[in-house]
Amino acid sequence: MKRTTILAAASALAMVATGAVAQETLKIGALVTMSGAGASWGNGMKRAAELAAEDVNEAGGLEVGDTTYQVEIIAYDDSYKANEAVTAANRLVFEDEVKYIIGTVGSAPILAIQPITEENGVITMTLGFTAQALGADKQYTFRPNPTTAEVAQPQIDWIVRTQGVETVGALFPKDETGEAIAEDLSGAYEQAGATLVATEFFERDRVDFIPLLTRIIAQGVDAIELDGNSPVTAGQIVQQARDLGFEGVIIRTGGPATQEIVNVAGEAATEGMFVHSAFDPGVASAKAYEERYVETYDEPMNGFSPFFYDGTKMLFQAMQDAGTVEDTEAVATAYENISDYEGILGTMNWTGSERYGIAHQLDSPFYIARVTGGEEEIVARCTSTGCE
Amino acid sequence: MSFLIAQSLINGVILGTLYLLMAIGFTLAFGVMRIVNFAHGEFYMIGAFCALIGVTWLGLPYPVTLALTIVFAILMGAVVERLVFRPFRNDELSGMIASLGLAMILQHGALILFGPDPQAFPAMATGVFKWGALIVPKSRALALGIGIVILLIFYLFLMHTRHGRALRALVQDQEVAAVFGVRLEIMYPLGLGLGIALAAVAGGLMAPLFGVSPFIGATPLLKAFIVVILGGLGSIPGAALAAILLGLIESFTSSFVSASAADIVTFALVIGVLLVRPAGLLGRAEA
Repeated sequence: MKRTTILAAASALAMVATGAVAQETLKIGALVTMSGAGASWGNGMKRAAELAAEDVNEAGGLEVGDTTYQVEIIAYDDSYKANEAVTAANRLVFEDEVKYIIGTVGSAPILAIQPITEENGVITMTLGFTAQALGADKQYTFRPNPTTAEVAQPQIDWIVRTQGVETVGALFPKDETGEAIAEDLSGAYEQAGATLVATEFFERDRVDFIPLLTRIIAQGVDAIELDGNSPVTAGQIVQQARDLGFEGVIIRTGGPATQEIVNVAGEAATEGMFVHSAFDPGVASAKAYEERYVETYDEPMNGFSPFFYDGTKMLFQAMQDAGTVEDTEAVATAYENISDYEGILGTMNWTGSERYGIAHQLDSPFYIARVTGGEEEIVARCTSTGCE
Repeated sequence: MSFLIAQSLINGVILGTLYLLMAIGFTLAFGVMRIVNFAHGEFYMIGAFCALIGVTWLGLPYPVTLALTIVFAILMGAVVERLVFRPFRNDELSGMIASLGLAMILQHGALILFGPDPQAFPAMATGVFKWGALIVPKSRALALGIGIVILLIFYLFLMHTRHGRALRALVQDQEVAAVFGVRLEIMYPLGLGLGIALAAVAGGLMAPLFGVSPFIGATPLLKAFIVVILGGLGSIPGAALAAILLGLIESFTSSFVSASAADIVTFALVIGVLLVRPAGLLGRAEA
């Protein structure tokens, strides 16, 4: 009698065990910057993917066709460098055999890994701000966050109009990202009726901006633009510009980084700074995400994170729509076809056919905030057509 | 335009003084020990972390923190001399390689302990001093003031104390110094310790201006190198001249031409000096 009971228990256990094995694992790569100046963005992206994965795993897994998948995130650091991104991409694609990569953070890294990912049909979701990241010949690359090209014009129009800014100075890192943003911004200020009179390019590891800022401030600019700089660098520029007695407007047109800038530069230096914000704490779902993020990781949330959470959730939906995780061409098509997606930030749609030749750019509402006491305070609400 | 010239002059002198703190320690360690210490930049980094720990974690006043940093660095220098450099006393090449290894150990040690992210350091002074259109940030004036005081104390020590004279004698000729009773077992650790302490205090002074991370040591090391090569390895007056020169060149070229031009001019000058005066501006040719 006793023996049969044990036998029954063992077979029951075996059945449970086989049940667990039948559930497959879907591996998703996170090729992001986790060290150095861009780490706050990279961590925000990786954690967005982890939280999205946690959602489906806790609900019993991701059902695609007849199979249920447990989602696993495999993360590698590229240190914001193209060569390290290529090494990590080779590892993800050929050793870990992933079909989906969240990343990269930087523009140079995404351009460097695209020959690998596009060739092998690996879907990537990049933050990289360069216009070249998206294109008709790059059908597997998507960008869930708006870039300077999308947000600059409406914001700059608003700031030039309301703050009476005529001349602007700016510092950019000397690489693909910096060059692309400098060109976008110069055009945007021109169109708004102001001029980008002083631009300086510097090596990304520079920490002393006093000589460059001396030159910019000596030209009597009304405002300094921080777009294109990593959060820490932007913080150092703010601190040193205020150290030099600059009293004009400081603007950050793109790239949510307010928390990090305030940490580096201090509350006093950042008071009154105008920043781009993708995040309205007044939207309940967005607020809930931020709270969950802070609770899980015990760090302030980077503003890009919600885009990648929505982007990853949309990708899961695309897999379900396509009924496969293996055929990435079908998944990419299903991903493109998602419209009016209700994400945590609002209603999301693909755009970009005119600008990039392919509609792989996510369009979402955004805001202009004024920094008061180290906190963002929304002063205008924007869409790609203008700010109010 | 005259505003820009005057402002660049001020920026350059501030920058030059900070380079000088780095370079004097570097050249002292070389003069005394005949070792090119590639780990010098990492002691700058350790000094910055010491200041961070003192000010933000322990809540100590800034001057106390800096004093503790100096004491800690001198002790660390003595330990490093005993454990790492002593076996290579008469072997410059091996000593140099050992210092490279030490640099990697220190940097990665800091990486494991503190993580890769830059840490914010609270401002030690805010606001500016203004003379007409001229502006000196108080934070930099503070770093400059403390830097000059430390350099003066160091100068007095070197010129007017027994140990200082012994150190200078060692720099001039080790064998003769030893014959005249300079105790090498004390002077070697002291020389390296003081050199390292100057790097560490430079790190502590720079931390409020530039932030703290395990990777901040590389740039100051490079600057110290340039200054020491320009001034002449082992020559302290040479280092002083070269440091101010380098600060002014960087400041003027960055402000009048561009940041990349500053690097080009600096290195062109190093090559030029090496071609015309291989021993540096005030260096002695090796016998």
